[in-house]
Amino acid sequence: MTGVESTRDTKKGEERRSSLSGRPKADDFGRSVSKIAVAQICESVGYQGCKESALEALADISIRYLCDLGKNASFHANLAGRTECNVFDITRALEDLGDSHGFPGASEVGSCLVGSGTVREIVQFVDTKEEIPFAQPVPKFPVVRNQKLIPSFEHMKETPSGKHTPSWLPAFPDPHTYNHTPMWNERGSDPCADKIEQARQRRKAERALLRLQQRLVCNGSTGTSSSTVLDAKTENIQESRSSPFLAVPLQPGEKDVSEVVLPAKLSNEPIKDDHVTLLEAYAPAIEAMKTGPSNGLDSEKMFLPEKRPAVQFKFKTGKKVLGELLDLSLQKKGERSSTFFLRDEERDDKKRRAEFILRQTTEYPMELNQS
Amino acid sequence: MNHNRQSNDGKHDDDSALSDFLASLMDYTPTIPDELVEHYLAKSGFQCPDVRLIRLVAVATQKFVAEVANDALQHCKARQAAVVKDKREKQQKDKRLILTMDDLSKSLREVGIPVTCSDVLKKNGHAFLFFVFND
Repeated sequence: MTGVESTRDTKKGEERRSSLSGRPKADDFGRSVSKIAVAQICESVGYQGCKESALEALADISIRYLCDLGKNASFHANLAGRTECNVFDITRALEDLGDSHGFPGASEVGSCLVGSGTVREIVQFVDTKEEIPFAQPVPKFPVVRNQKLIPSFEHMKETPSGKHTPSWLPAFPDPHTYNHTPMWNERGSDPCADKIEQARQRRKAERALLRLQQRLVCNGSTGTSSSTVLDAKTENIQESRSSPFLAVPLQPGEKDVSEVVLPAKLSNEPIKDDHVTLLEAYAPAIEAMKTGPSNGLDSEKMFLPEKRPAVQFKFKTGKKVLGELLDLSLQKKGERSSTFFLRDEERDDKKRRAEFILRQTTEYPMELNQS
Repeated sequence: MNHNRQSNDGKHDDDSALSDFLASLMDYTPTIPDELVEHYLAKSGFQCPDVRLIRLVAVATQKFVAEVANDALQHCKARQAAVVKDKREKQQKDKRLILTMDDLSKSLREVGIPVTCSDVLKKNGHAFLFFVFND
């Protein structure tokens, strides 16, 4: 194949052209095929290379020549009252196009077309030139796509509405495509039932989450340095296990509120090795329920207790959740926890914890404000 | 009558020559593929089921393009012969024959297709062709 050389200018032009007109046109395939053919002809003539612009120009001109031949030939055929062209039409067309160039016998008037100079020249050309077939196989083009036609009345086995419509015409579209039908909302809304259902689903989710974290706790509970608070709690619980009537009476005005209850495991067996801070027990659940960046501070604080001796209850959201979870745990393990349900003891604990938290907030206001 | 007989014989010879030629065209494969020729002829309204005529059109186009290229080659060689006498370097470099717009426009003008490619447009990298075909 001929090498295509191009100067800097033409290359830049190509890039610009391709960037400007990057979209493929309908005639691109024909043009590129003709470019290859023209390049082959140039090579046969004796050229070793050609400029891109020159090659494109020559290909364009050859296509125009081809089209003009066809136009001329069909014109002559139509002139003679035919629709199909024959060899004489082509000969006349060749003579018309070759007038400017000149061919032998052009000046002869009234001679038979059979002996036309142009045809003789072509015969000479074929005899002298060696055959150069096209480099690659060319498929039949342009490719005709099968159009999806709208089925006729006959095809749809429908009868047209009016007598004036023949059955071979395309059928009308289905009425549901253009008729507007009203939509009824069949589901009745019951807000009470919806709320109940929502609450039930939430409880279900919480129960599942609690079960998961308990499983995690059972699998690997890390023992930490037991806090003095917890020890005190367990001792109190052991003491008052004998009788609830010996417990400290409630002060007037104070309410008997069931708040944070120790997990059954803590109050059940006071095994020091198994002492788990509430934090540790619920750390996985808390982590799982961590919603957004607002809890980022809490997460940081969560891992601190391993270094500090006391239990840190610095998060509010966690506390609420704990309360709910513990309630559920109560329901699950009813018999065990009921005996250890000592509200006054917890209230004392709660008071102690609240004081501790207050102290923390006043001492370290900066830490809490981080978010 | 003799004249007529002669002309008739002449006509017969021409007829036979033409029909022989058309038959021989089937053996000869033109460089321009048949599918391309058919596409552009169909575009311009040429209707013919005969493959030989398609081949004839293809060969005619090939002849035209070959003539134009030949003329351009002559121009190129003439230019090189004029320059080469002075320096040897140029001679080695210009041994390669390359088709350029200049040579092409010169040869096309002889055929009757005036092609202009202005220098200003060349700098921008675009080659605009303005030419008219004689119909």
